[in-house]
Amino acid sequence: MKALLLLTASVLSAAPPIVIQNATVLTVTKGSFKGSVVVQDGKIKEAGEKVMIPPGAQIIDASGQFIMPGIIDAHSHIAADSINESSVSVSSMVGIEDVLDPEAISIYRALAGGVTTVNVLHGSANAIGGKCVVIKTRWGKDREGILFEGAKPGIKFALGENPKRQGMSASTRTPGGPQYLRYPGTRMGVEDVIRQAFNDAKIYQAEWKTYNGRKARGETVIPPKRDLKLDALVEILEGKRLVHAHCYRADEILMLLRVADEFGFKIKTLQHVLEGYKVAKEIKEHGAGASTFSDWWAYKVEAFDAIPYNAAIMVKKGILVSLNSDSGELMRRLNTEAGKTMKYGGLTETEALSLITINPARQLDIDERVGSIEPGKDADLVIYDKHPLSSFAKVQKVLIDGSVYFDRDRDITERQQRELRKKQLLEKEKQSQPQQKKNAAPTRRLQ
Amino acid sequence: MLRHLCVLVCLAALTLIPGKAETPAVIAIRNARIVTVSGPVIAQGTVVVRNGLIEAVGETITPPADAWIIDGAGLTVYPGLIDSLSTLGLSDAAPMGAPSPSGRRGGGPPSSSSSSGPATPPARGPEDRPLNTSYLLAADQLAANDRRIEAARNAGFTSAVTFPNRNIFSGQGAVINLAGERPGNMVVHSPAGMFLTLRTAGFTAGYPGSLLGVIAYIRQIYLDAALYKEAKQIYAAHPVGNRRPDYDKHLEGVLAAPRILLPASSPKDIERMLRFGQELKQETILYGLHEGYRATPLLKQYNGKALVDLRWPEKSRDADPEQTDSLRTLELRDKAPSTAAELHKAGVPFAFYAGALAQPTDVSRAVKKAIDAGLAPGDAIRALTLSPAEIFGVADRLGSIEKGKIANLIVTTGDLFQDRTRIKYVLVDGVKYEPAPPQPAPPSEATR
Amino acid sequence: MKHLSFFLAATLFAGADDTFVLRGVTVHPVTGPDVENASLLVVDGKIAEIGDAKLKTPKTTRTIDAKGLHAYPGMIDSATQVGMSEISSVRETSDVSELGDFKPQLRAAIAVNPASEHIPVIRANGITAAMAVPDGGIIAGQASLMHLDGWTWEEMAIRIDAAMHLRFPTISTGGFLSRTSFPEARRNYETRLKNLSEYFEQARRYQKAKAAAGPGFKPDLALEAMLPVLAKKTPIMITATRERAIKDAVTWSEKEGVRIVLAEVRRPGESLALLKQKNIPVILGPTQELPLEEDDPYDEAFTVPVEVHKAGVKFAFGSFGNQFSRNLPYQAATAAAFGLPYEEALKSVTLYPAQIWGVDDRMGSIEKGKWADIIVTDGDPLEVKTNVKRMFIQGKEVDLESKHTRLYKKYLARP
Repeated sequence: MKALLLLTASVLSAAPPIVIQNATVLTVTKGSFKGSVVVQDGKIKEAGEKVMIPPGAQIIDASGQFIMPGIIDAHSHIAADSINESSVSVSSMVGIEDVLDPEAISIYRALAGGVTTVNVLHGSANAIGGKCVVIKTRWGKDREGILFEGAKPGIKFALGENPKRQGMSASTRTPGGPQYLRYPGTRMGVEDVIRQAFNDAKIYQAEWKTYNGRKARGETVIPPKRDLKLDALVEILEGKRLVHAHCYRADEILMLLRVADEFGFKIKTLQHVLEGYKVAKEIKEHGAGASTFSDWWAYKVEAFDAIPYNAAIMVKKGILVSLNSDSGELMRRLNTEAGKTMKYGGLTETEALSLITINPARQLDIDERVGSIEPGKDADLVIYDKHPLSSFAKVQKVLIDGSVYFDRDRDITERQQRELRKKQLLEKEKQSQPQQKKNAAPTRRLQ
Repeated sequence: MLRHLCVLVCLAALTLIPGKAETPAVIAIRNARIVTVSGPVIAQGTVVVRNGLIEAVGETITPPADAWIIDGAGLTVYPGLIDSLSTLGLSDAAPMGAPSPSGRRGGGPPSSSSSSGPATPPARGPEDRPLNTSYLLAADQLAANDRRIEAARNAGFTSAVTFPNRNIFSGQGAVINLAGERPGNMVVHSPAGMFLTLRTAGFTAGYPGSLLGVIAYIRQIYLDAALYKEAKQIYAAHPVGNRRPDYDKHLEGVLAAPRILLPASSPKDIERMLRFGQELKQETILYGLHEGYRATPLLKQYNGKALVDLRWPEKSRDADPEQTDSLRTLELRDKAPSTAAELHKAGVPFAFYAGALAQPTDVSRAVKKAIDAGLAPGDAIRALTLSPAEIFGVADRLGSIEKGKIANLIVTTGDLFQDRTRIKYVLVDGVKYEPAPPQPAPPSEATR
Repeated sequence: MKHLSFFLAATLFAGADDTFVLRGVTVHPVTGPDVENASLLVVDGKIAEIGDAKLKTPKTTRTIDAKGLHAYPGMIDSATQVGMSEISSVRETSDVSELGDFKPQLRAAIAVNPASEHIPVIRANGITAAMAVPDGGIIAGQASLMHLDGWTWEEMAIRIDAAMHLRFPTISTGGFLSRTSFPEARRNYETRLKNLSEYFEQARRYQKAKAAAGPGFKPDLALEAMLPVLAKKTPIMITATRERAIKDAVTWSEKEGVRIVLAEVRRPGESLALLKQKNIPVILGPTQELPLEEDDPYDEAFTVPVEVHKAGVKFAFGSFGNQFSRNLPYQAATAAAFGLPYEEALKSVTLYPAQIWGVDDRMGSIEKGKWADIIVTDGDPLEVKTNVKRMFIQGKEVDLESKHTRLYKKYLARP
């Protein structure tokens, strides 16, 4: 019986193995070489100069092309119908998972830019923001299908200008209307909000512990209130939820590290962290990762000391660094963003590639699965026509779990079909129009 | 005495409601084609109505001696139509619109849940119970003089499920009959379910300010409600030594609802709301469903029930002619009416609602579109009669022509949803109405 | 002794400032084939000679060893807010948009802060000149072509009235918070267009009155600023993104008899044939943008330049901002990755903008007689990895340090 079940399972997953040949393979963790990658059952089976070609394998000839691991964007807001619950300073009760849109075109566009894994974050309007979710860009799949199964859940924090914006009087005053300011309005208040929240969370944690104890002893007690907001914070305290904290200035970065120390939790990644280079030592000591932009600056006051050398400095100081996009547009060319760090700070090719592959994988605790070309890892691969760190490189194919999800040639064929279908529908609608005009009075229900 | 009252009622109704004929207590419709919906069509038969109920139906029924006889030769009798989602009788309701997929718009202007005006501070979280009028009962809010009721009746609707719709927890619906002197005469069943929208408090107007917040808020309310229920039970059994739980009308309303209604149109919304309903452990009915044709397997998988908006999406009239809609939008406009057929094929229970459609001709034309897109005419009728009755648990009294059921009937000159067919009589609770003969709309009206 | 010191100073500085020879360099003139192992002689800030290794130069000429390096013309950004805005979100630091609909007398150059932190940052990637473009209203003011070096805006200015910026009225139904119906949007558009035509009519009457020099003539600063436009000396830089607006703008310009350059062109459609026929050049916005419509191909923005190039329309790139101006070369590179011939990509940030702004006699390529606006790189300047090693503007070597490099060095050295 068991054998039969196993047989069925293997039959079900009997997609033929794929061998990508004659390419320059950039494994990121195991060097680069001219050779092949063998994909079987959604995983990388082998990568090397010479490989065993499994019987019945589909061969993709990638002569002159480059293969790298699928790009991982540790900070994005694609594929969600709603980003910010900005009405409150602690919005840890909300979660992006509730509002995922697996049909958002942003997923396909990211995929076409070589991105296979995305950390979809809540916005930055709150000191403690909403829960985030890791997805793969499995275009065409439903909500369940795009979730990165088994990825540890995360949560967004935000420091600096954004979370205090609604507490600054000038920006919320509407003519003639009442004025409600939302606490906090300063960086001091942002710290206060986070400390108060974790103080509440600890009390809440204790209440439940007491209740569970009494209940276990058989007492009849009214349970404490379940609070979704505090549940998420307790998960942070218990190390079950990763903190991704939006921050800019050195002072606020240090503040958050110290608050985390005080309450006994870790900051998994500092996001944007544009002045991370100023407090690299402290970030390193705390053990936080840093996920930054390559060259954004000067769009607001707290970004005025941002420098494109930030990533390089932090790498040199021993921090786990990634480059993120925070933008549905930029995420389509994270490869060249990585390339910029070779100029700004002189990172090596492998260091540059790590910033968008294995490093973000480690920051999201999914490096066992993705982030490099190694046997046993998910077959998330990008094939470029030129070296991916070049301005002139173009994605040719993207595989996720060993299936081709993007193929430039196929895309070009499909766009013609799409145009044709659109024309047909427009024509059809036009044809039905005159008839509609004759009868259909635009009536409104009586009010 | 009773007879006296009846005459009074009838007289009163006569003066109040135009188009209503004097109705005796017993009516027999003879020699008519009878579409019972629950059973086979009777090619030629008789329906007897007494005291507001169907006394008998069949081929070989002899009309009782005291009956007022209607010669049904050439006419067809149907069960009265049920508008499965409406705001009929509720003057305070927001205008009906398509459900907002993103939650940015839930119909109607943003308004605070409390009536204390703009000075109300924004809600700081779920604990302030924003946009929550779960305790409102449509049955308590009914106004019999809502002018829309007559328009709906003229379109063949004899019942409606009507809901307050202004808030996230808008309140509880009621199944009502579309005639009656007093609101109390109209109510068939209450509560019929909690009407939920995904509207937000509005920009910088407090919690919840986004779809994210709305979903988390609803989730928290159900957690609170479960605790509230448990706490009340524990307290009732052990009042000594326990602190009493605070009374919360917002949770009382939630606990009283037999089911919830959630908006969903696209597959992603449908999946999201079906999962949500399951998570909340509530019997869930989805409304909207214009893109439902793409999500039938999901609906089947979750045992979903669907209320399909008959106001099919149309091209915006005042859009820039050079801006073409996306393929997705074009597909939606083309295929939305096929949703009903697809749901039927998949065996998903569904009913139609008139949505923002006003005129009898609009409803008829909209149903016709669904029929043209593959729905059998008989199934279309069912989606406006027995199916909504089943979905709202009133199939034992409404939705088909069966002995003992409420005498809500329509008598037509031909097949429903055909251009030339006119509704000759409408019976609600056995009371006969004659819709005014249709007047061709003046051209100026038609193009306005 | 005094004499001697004077002599020394003369020899040290006379040739040191803007006279030098780059040796061993590969010259990419843009207008002609590359010259390997060349000697590029600059005298008094101008390109004097592109010779081979044997090129003889006076002993006093400073020699710069550029072996293995490449010389390209400095790049030109055809639309920026450089120097006019420091931190985009802080109103007080921005002098881009003035009040009012018609302000031809405003001059961008005078609001360019030569000490802006942006200037050295942008320069560091090989950009030596930029158009500073004012915005706001319909006629926003004069866009000025600026060198990215100088003690004052006056020293920076290449051409203060390089263009008159006009934001062409469009029929716009979409807004972030509000939507208007098409008929209403159309009425708004017609009103604005009428106002624009009336303004030009007013300018023309002023022109006549001035020529007639009657006793009642009074000077008007705004209308005075329109005279070079009417005389076709100054082109109008018309922002028009989509086909309908482009066609409308061209029709209007024909009627008014003015010279135009279209800016922020993104969806030209069939108007390209018209642009080609009328010989109207365009400034393309960044290619690194999302597609305009949901159904557009994912690479829609990347391929606009190819489309324009294929139609035979002259084009240059503009960054239309500040923050990302330094990425100008990569906008061109993305276009090249998606089908634009490499040479065209390079010209679109060097020669073509110089031609479009009427300064190709002085800049835009490495040719004898032109200004020595030169960058020396370790590779292709359109490649992100490439470092700009040296920069010369009018032959004067420019510091490539910036706020960014200073902070880099400072904090890299933090113990």
